[in-house]
Amino acid sequence: MAKIIIKDIVKRYANGFEALKGVSAEIAAGSFTVILGPSGAGKSTLLRTINGLETQTAGTIQIGEHIVTPHNLRQVRSQVGMVFQHFNLVDRLSVMTNVLTGRLSHRSWLGSLLYLFRRTDLDLAHDALIRVGLTDKAWNRADKLSGGQQQRVGIARALAQQPRVILADEPVASLDPVASEEIMGLLREICTRDGITVVVNLHQVELARRFADRIIGLNEGLVVYDGPTGGLDRITLGKIYSRNGDLVDEQLETMLAYA
Amino acid sequence: MAEEIIQRPALPKKPFNPTSVWLSGWLALIWLIIVDLELSFETLLYGVQDILEYFSRYSRPNFDDLSRYVELLGQTLATALWGSTLAIVVAVLLAPFAARNLSPNAVTYRIARELLNFMRAMPDLLLALIFVAALGLGPLPGALALGVHTAGFLGKFFAESLERVDNGIYEAVTASGASRVQLVMYAGWPSIQREALGYMLYIFDRNVRMAAVLGLVGAGGIGLALHDTLRMFNYDQSAALIVVILVTILTIDYLSTWLRGKLN
Amino acid sequence: MSNSKLCWPTPNGRPGLVPTLSLLACILLLAISASAVELDFGRIVTAIPRMLAFAGNLLVLPDWEYLPILAKNILQTIEMTFLATSIALVISLPLGVLAAKNTSPHPAVFHATRNLLSLMRALPELVWALVFVSAVGLGPLPGIMALSFVTVGFMGKFFAESIEVVDQRQVEGVVAQGASWLQLRTFAHFPQAFPDFVGTVMYVLDHNLRAAAILGLVGAGGIGYDLVMAMRMFDYNRLLPIALSIYIVVTLLDRASDHFRMRMI
Ligand SMILES: Nc1ncnc2c1ncn2[C@@H]1O[C@H](COP(=O)(O)OP(=O)(O)O)[C@@H](O)[C@H]1O
Ligand SMILES: [Mg+2]
Repeated sequence: MAKIIIKDIVKRYANGFEALKGVSAEIAAGSFTVILGPSGAGKSTLLRTINGLETQTAGTIQIGEHIVTPHNLRQVRSQVGMVFQHFNLVDRLSVMTNVLTGRLSHRSWLGSLLYLFRRTDLDLAHDALIRVGLTDKAWNRADKLSGGQQQRVGIARALAQQPRVILADEPVASLDPVASEEIMGLLREICTRDGITVVVNLHQVELARRFADRIIGLNEGLVVYDGPTGGLDRITLGKIYSRNGDLVDEQLETMLAYA
Repeated sequence: MAEEIIQRPALPKKPFNPTSVWLSGWLALIWLIIVDLELSFETLLYGVQDILEYFSRYSRPNFDDLSRYVELLGQTLATALWGSTLAIVVAVLLAPFAARNLSPNAVTYRIARELLNFMRAMPDLLLALIFVAALGLGPLPGALALGVHTAGFLGKFFAESLERVDNGIYEAVTASGASRVQLVMYAGWPSIQREALGYMLYIFDRNVRMAAVLGLVGAGGIGLALHDTLRMFNYDQSAALIVVILVTILTIDYLSTWLRGKLN
Repeated sequence: MSNSKLCWPTPNGRPGLVPTLSLLACILLLAISASAVELDFGRIVTAIPRMLAFAGNLLVLPDWEYLPILAKNILQTIEMTFLATSIALVISLPLGVLAAKNTSPHPAVFHATRNLLSLMRALPELVWALVFVSAVGLGPLPGIMALSFVTVGFMGKFFAESIEVVDQRQVEGVVAQGASWLQLRTFAHFPQAFPDFVGTVMYVLDHNLRAAAILGLVGAGGIGYDLVMAMRMFDYNRLLPIALSIYIVVTLLDRASDHFRMRMI
């Protein structure tokens, strides 16, 4: 639905550490892109810069026709859904209210002070819950759900926004294999059926291969691979997962053996 | 289209949300209280005007008697210090009996708990009145009153902390054949050391505030001076006294916040 | 060196420097201040018979005709407590938001609010009650004003502290939805801090009930006035019922608040 243009992004944290050293990429509207890289590569930093949770030191982000600036963050975020590794639901609110927070950017301050929503918001939230198959848990407290269910609420919250883009930061890193499969399938289905642009951070090569249209390989703050999933060969993976010439991920040794 | 809407899995029935009931009950209660106490908003509105005028009378603090104030202040602080010390001694002795997991038996536990409850329930000003009647005027009855009252608080806090200590620690020390006193000394107090220091600071803080008003019932300190100057409509000196009290309490507040920060 | 000699579990067997110095400092402080409190054990000992006599005096039949008035004044004390706490609650909520580091709009606002709150809670209720009684006259109104005023100082600070420890991840989850400044506070911070808020309100109610029971001392309403009068006039047949009813009410609330706090955790 919306294309994302990332241009020369540099991010230096307050402690002086440079997590992104000039990253550029163009993500096609309606595509399913996986950002792959070892932990510490800068994946989260990049994703969080896209919807302004981090402010870049240099470079620009454009989503659809809008350049992201500190002043239009609310507008940008209302069009960009985000799914987190630790779900980041508000524990003490019901599943329904959590999904409804996806509608907050459309609500007035007075209504929000009284926890009031419109019927149309409720309908959208209801639809989102149907999509993730959790209608029967609508009035449960969010922290009473299993990890996989909480992540599905997280996706429903993003869906309730009617977003043009969904960003997912390691959405399956805290889940068991079965739930991981479900969540990735759900994201893929949302991308295909609704044409929403989906960008997912992953560190598992296997999942990336199975679900992505396209892979951006990130290592030490630099793009080391950008191309179709099919192009992920031994050498590319070696580039993505090496640090000072050594492989960083022990699992990768075995994975490369099968590649 | 219509068919699709019908086939949507319906939401389960929304559970009853009691917030609105609580809220209306609360508002109704407030209304009843306002009516019952015969509070009128007119009085309050006139009052606001009066109060502004009234407060302006305090704008010229008169520090001529400062040396006397400082002396009274010293007495107030001393009262708070001795009161707190008394409270600490009593609480340290009682708390192990009032902790369920350290008390020798259910009877001593209940007795200790009820004793602490009783001390806590008696307002310190009432105790001060009684002690003044028995001991005569002066800061001593004030210190005793503060001590008895806050020992109730401190003892409860200590006992609850002692109950929260990980049972494994107690078991480990018991397993080495320690007596009950040794259990308290080597597993109990060391485990809650920081918390206990925090509570003591809090109690001292509170006792300083309280000691500043004990003078009202003749139990020494700066409160009596304030009472007298207010009663004689001596605004300039009252203002000076209020400033002195305020500065002291704020200083102690900052000091104890700082100390607490260091403890953690 | 004989091995049966007592020693402390320190490297050299002697008590550590810091504990020794702290203990000495405390003893010194107490010794210095002993004269200021006119400490005199003789006085305490001689007072014991008087205390016992006083206790004996208390054991008389209550003044039956006074009991309805007692009930009325106890009720007034409870009403003052409840109303003052409610007023303070409404004022403290926004102030608490402004006084929490993570929800305050600006560091300057944060510091200003924090200082305002510590100023408000610096003086005890009784001092404010004295001042307000001189300003608006006798009755429960000055008492309620004094209680609310000081309570805001405490409650605002406690609220702010609870807001400061909310889980930042949950907040970020709502930020990413494009929530506004206010929406974040109502949908992310408030639900998380709510159990702490309930604990604070219970604690403050407890504290205010005790405070309200003595405000009458300066004519600011409640049971305190009767208490002082009974004490001054030696109305022993009223004193015990008054003390007993204060004890009962305070204890009941104390238990209720313990129970409530347990349930919220
Ligand atoms: N707030 C921060 N301040 C300083 N350094 C940070 C901060 N957040 C992340 N980093 C550093 O930036 C690098 C990239 O982090 P991140 O984007 O979280 O990597 P990934 O998500 O790929 O594991 C890491 O080395 C991390 O230590
Ligand atoms: Mg990450």
